Amino acid sequence: MLGSREPAGLTRRQALARFGAGAATLALPGALGACGGSGGKAKVAKAGGDPWRRYAGTTLNFISENTAPTLAIGANLAEFEQLTGIKVKITQLELSALVQKVALDFASGLGNYEVIYADPYQILAPYHKALAPLNQFQDDEDLPSAHDMGDFIPTQLEAAGKFEEADVVYALPYDAPTMIWMYRQDLFEKYGDRMKQDLGFDPTPSMDSTWEQYLKMATWFGKHATKDVPYGTLHMAKQHDALMNDFSNVLWSFGGDYFGKGDKVGALGATDPGESLLTKDAALKAADFYQRLLRVASPSSLGWDWTGAAEGFIAGKAAMAPLWHEDAATVEGSALKGKVGFAPLPKGPARRSDMYGGTGIGVNATASKDAQRAAWLFVVWATSKKTQLTNLKSDVGGGTPTRASVYQLPEVVKARKPPSKIPNILTYGAIEEAWKPDNIGLRPKIPAWNACDTAIFTALSKMLADGGDPEKFMRQAKQGVDEAIANQKELA
Amino acid sequence: MAGARERRGIGIGKGALLVVVLLWTLIPLLWMALSSLKPSADITSGSMTVFFKPTFEHYKALFTGGNNIAPYIRNSIVAAGVSTLIAVVLGSMAGYGLARARFRGKDHVAFWIISTRMAPIAAVILPLFVIFRFTGLLGSVFGLIVAYLTFNLPFAIWIMNAFFAQLPPSLEEAAMTEGATRWQAFRHVALPLTLPGLATTAVLCLVFSWNDYAFASTFSGPDSQTLPIAASQLVTQTSIDWGQLTAIGTIVVAPMIICGLIVRRWLVTGLTLGAVTGE
Amino acid sequence: MSTAAAGRVRSRTEQTRAPRRGPRLSFNGAMLAPALALLALLSLFPFFYIIAMSFSRVGLLGGITLTWAGFDNWTRLFTDSAVGASWLRSIVYFALTVGLEMTLGIGFALLLHATKVLRNLSLSLILMPMFMAPVIVGLLGRFLTDSTYGLYAYVLTQLHLFSGDLLGSPTAAFLSVTLMDVWQWTPLVTLIVLAGLASVPGPLLEAAQLDGANYVQRLRHIVFPSLTGVIVVALLIRSMDAIRYFDIITNTTAGGPADATKTVPIRLYETGFRFFDLGYAAAIGLSMLAVSILLANLFLRMLRGQGVTS
Repeated sequence: MLGSREPAGLTRRQALARFGAGAATLALPGALGACGGSGGKAKVAKAGGDPWRRYAGTTLNFISENTAPTLAIGANLAEFEQLTGIKVKITQLELSALVQKVALDFASGLGNYEVIYADPYQILAPYHKALAPLNQFQDDEDLPSAHDMGDFIPTQLEAAGKFEEADVVYALPYDAPTMIWMYRQDLFEKYGDRMKQDLGFDPTPSMDSTWEQYLKMATWFGKHATKDVPYGTLHMAKQHDALMNDFSNVLWSFGGDYFGKGDKVGALGATDPGESLLTKDAALKAADFYQRLLRVASPSSLGWDWTGAAEGFIAGKAAMAPLWHEDAATVEGSALKGKVGFAPLPKGPARRSDMYGGTGIGVNATASKDAQRAAWLFVVWATSKKTQLTNLKSDVGGGTPTRASVYQLPEVVKARKPPSKIPNILTYGAIEEAWKPDNIGLRPKIPAWNACDTAIFTALSKMLADGGDPEKFMRQAKQGVDEAIANQKELA
Repeated sequence: MAGARERRGIGIGKGALLVVVLLWTLIPLLWMALSSLKPSADITSGSMTVFFKPTFEHYKALFTGGNNIAPYIRNSIVAAGVSTLIAVVLGSMAGYGLARARFRGKDHVAFWIISTRMAPIAAVILPLFVIFRFTGLLGSVFGLIVAYLTFNLPFAIWIMNAFFAQLPPSLEEAAMTEGATRWQAFRHVALPLTLPGLATTAVLCLVFSWNDYAFASTFSGPDSQTLPIAASQLVTQTSIDWGQLTAIGTIVVAPMIICGLIVRRWLVTGLTLGAVTGE
Repeated sequence: MSTAAAGRVRSRTEQTRAPRRGPRLSFNGAMLAPALALLALLSLFPFFYIIAMSFSRVGLLGGITLTWAGFDNWTRLFTDSAVGASWLRSIVYFALTVGLEMTLGIGFALLLHATKVLRNLSLSLILMPMFMAPVIVGLLGRFLTDSTYGLYAYVLTQLHLFSGDLLGSPTAAFLSVTLMDVWQWTPLVTLIVLAGLASVPGPLLEAAQLDGANYVQRLRHIVFPSLTGVIVVALLIRSMDAIRYFDIITNTTAGGPADATKTVPIRLYETGFRFFDLGYAAAIGLSMLAVSILLANLFLRMLRGQGVTS
C-alpha cells in the first residue's frame, strides 16, 4: 500500500503553472489588490498571478497538540511566510487542554484559531460541524489545491479526515503516530540464546511473534536480566487516554472490539456505534491477558502516560515497550542510540493490531471566509510532500509523514537502515506492516468518545490497581460506555 | 545545675527540629532552582547530581526561538498588575465604606461579598465565558483582568475592611471638624494610615492573579497567554523538558516570594481577612 | 441565598440613610457602590446562569444554547454513585490535608515562637511555598516523585521505603498529592497561629510555670484555649480554598490511578470541559458552592462564639 505514486509533490512552481493564469482573471476586484504592498491591511485579498500570495499580510493562528511534527512545523514557518506572506502563530497545548480550547472556540463562533489540529476522536467526531468541509477549497479554481489526494495513505485519510460521509473531507492527514514494539536489541543479542533455550522459541521480535511470547520474554527479562534492566516491559498505563491506547492493541488482537459496528466505527466513524462488546468473551480474555502482562511490567507503568513511558524506556527501565513510533527520534537522540530495534506489535490469537494515533488539520468554519481560505493555504502547505520531508528531517521534531510518496523518496528509503539521518524512518519496517488495512488499529470515532474513553481507561486503571477479576471491571467499563452513549443521545 | 543542662538539651532539640522543618520546606524549592541550572543530561540521568557545571542554557532557551516567553511575561504582568490596581482602588473604597457604615444586615452584605469568592472555579468558567463572548473580551488580556477581579475584588474589600476597622474613627472625625470633607478624611487621613494594609492587599491580589491557571487556560487567546500556561505547555507528548520547566518555575515563583516576604509583617491580617488581628 | 440577602440589604442601606437627605446615596454607600456594582455584575449573572444551566441541556455548536431539561441533572446528581464516591474522596482528602496542615502548622508555630535566634529569617523561609503558583507546585511535585529521575523517589528507594511509582499506586498517589498540598499550605497555618500565639497572655504563662506546670500542661490549659479562635480562622480559610483548587491534582495524577485522586473539583472539571456535559457540571458546581457556603457559615458562627471577629 505504500507503493510509489506520482513522484513529485506540490511545489510552488507547479502551483504557479497550474493556477497562475486562472487566478489572475478570477481574482477579487483589481482595485483592492492594487493598493498597498504586502503587509498592508490584513485579510484583504490581493489580485495577482500567485494564488499563494492572495492572503499576504494575514495572520493565522494554528492550535495544535504539542507533538513533534508541530515543533518541526514551527521551526519551518519562515518558508511558509515567504511563500504566502502569511504569518502563522502556533499555540501548542497538551491534548485535553487543546480539546477544551477548541470546543470553546467553536462555541464562541469567533474563529480565533483558524487552523485546527482536529484529533479525529476528541474533536472531529463531536465537532465536525464546526469544521469547514475542505472539498470547497480543493475544488476552488482560485486556490491552490492539495496535490493528489490519493497520495495520502487511504486508511489515514478516512480515519483522520472524514466523519460518516465518505465524500466530505474535514481534515488532511497531518501526522500518523502509530504504536509499535520497541525493544533493546543489545539485550536481545546478549541474552537471545539463553532465552531461546529457556523458553523454547526464538525470541527475536518478528512478524510471527505473539503476545503470549511477549509476556514470556518480559517475564524472562525481569528474572534473568536485572543486571542490565529492571523489568522486561513497561506500558503507558496511567489513568489517561494512553491506557486505552495501550489496551486496545491487546483487545483487538484477541478478537475483541469496543462496539458492534467495529470496522465502520473505526474508519468513517458513526453517531450510533452499536452495542458495547466489552463484556464479550474475547474482550474478557484480552483484559485477563492485559492484567497478566501489566503484572510483570514496571510498576511505574500505572503512573505513566505516553510521555512517562517513553522517558522510562529511554532511561533503561525495561527491555521492551509498546510505544508511539514517533518516539524513535527521541530514542535515537538518547544514550540508547543504535541499541533499539523496532517491530510491529505482536499478534494475538485473532489478528495483529497497532493503534493508530494520527490526526488531521482542518479549517475552522466559524472563521471569516477569507481567513478560512488563508487557513486552507496553510493546510495544503503543511501536508504537502515537500513540507513533510522537511519535517521528517527536522532537528527539533521528527515528523510522521502521511503521504505514501514521501516514504519512497530515495533519501528516505536510504534512511531505513542505520546509521540513519532520519531516525523515525528506522521504524519503516514496523509501520509498513502496522498500516496494512488489516492491522491498523482504529478506535471508535463517535461523538461520545471522550466520555467512553474516560469510562474505559478508568475501569482499566481500577482493574490494574486492584488485580482482581477482570470481568468485574469490564462490566464497569461497559456500564460507563452505555451511560456515555445514552447521555450523548440526550445532548444531541 | 541539672536545669541548665536540660535547657541546653531542649535548645539543641529545638534547633534540630527547626532544621528539619526548614529542610522539608526548602528542599523542593532549592532542587527546582538547582535543576534549572543543570545540563539536561544531568537532570534525566537519575543520579541526583548536586555538583555540576552550572549552565544558563535553559533560561536562554526560554527567551529564544519559537517558545520565547517574553510575551507571556508581559501578559502576566499586565493582567495581574491591572487587575490588582483596580481591585485595590475599588476594594479600599468599599472596604472603608463597609467599615464605617452602620446598617442592619451589614453582616449579610459582608458574607455575600466573601461568598462570591467561594464559587468553584470550574463552575464559573462557562458563565464568564458567555459574558466575555458578548462583551468581546474573549481572548484578550482585558478579559483576564476582569476574570481575576472575580476573586480579587471580594478579597480586597474584605481585607481593607479589616484594616479600616482597626482604625479608630476619631482621627477622621477630628479632621472633619477642621473642615475636611468625608472624602478628604478618607483620602488624607484614613488611607495613609492603612498603607501597610494597602500594600498587603496589593501583594496578595498580585500573587493570586499571577498564579492563576484555570482562568488563563480558558479565557486567554493566542496573544494573551500567561506564564503558568507557558509552564504547562512544556509538557509535550514525547518528553518533558525539565530543565526549561524548572527554569520557568523559578521565574514564576521568585518574584511572588519576594513580594510576599516584603509585606510579611502584615500578611496575617490580609490572609485571615482581619479575623485574627482584628481582635 | 446570599445574593438575595444582598439585594435586601442594599435597599435597606438606602432606606436608613435616605429619609433625611433625600434620594442621595450616603458617603459610605457611594464608597461601596462601584465595587458592589461590579461585583454584582461579575457574580450575580454567573450565579443565575449556573442555576439555569443546571436545569438545562447545554449545546455548544452554533453558539451556546440552553434547552430546558427539568430536574434531569439534579436527579442524576443524587443518584450518581461515581459523584458520591468523589465526595467521599474529597472529604477524606479535605480531612487529611487540613488536619495535617493544622497539626504541622501549629507545631511549626510553637517551634518558631520558642525560637529566639533568626526567628524572622526562619519564618520568611518557611512561608515561601505559599506564594507559589499551584500549577508549578503540581509540576514540581511530578518532577520530585518521578520514578526515573525524581529526587524524592530516589531517596525513598535508597532508604528501601518505597520502590514503585509514587503516582502509580492508589494509596501512594493519594498521599503524594495530599502532601504536596500540605507542603504548600502549612506555612499559611503557621503564620496565622504564630500571630495568635503573640496574643497568649504572658503573665498567665509565667504564673503557671512558677506553679510547676510543665510544657504540655501549659499548652493544654493556657495556650490552646486562647488559640481556638485563630485555629477556626485557619480552618475557614483553608477549607474555602481546598474545595476550589484542583491545579495540583490536574498536573500530577489527573484523578488516577484507579480514581484514587478524583476529587469533586476534578470530576466537575472533567464533566464540564472534557465531556462538555455542562448542565450536569453546573449541578455539581452548585452543590460544591452550597457545601462551601455551609462550611463557611459554620466556621463563622464558631468564630462569633469565640468573639474573635473584627
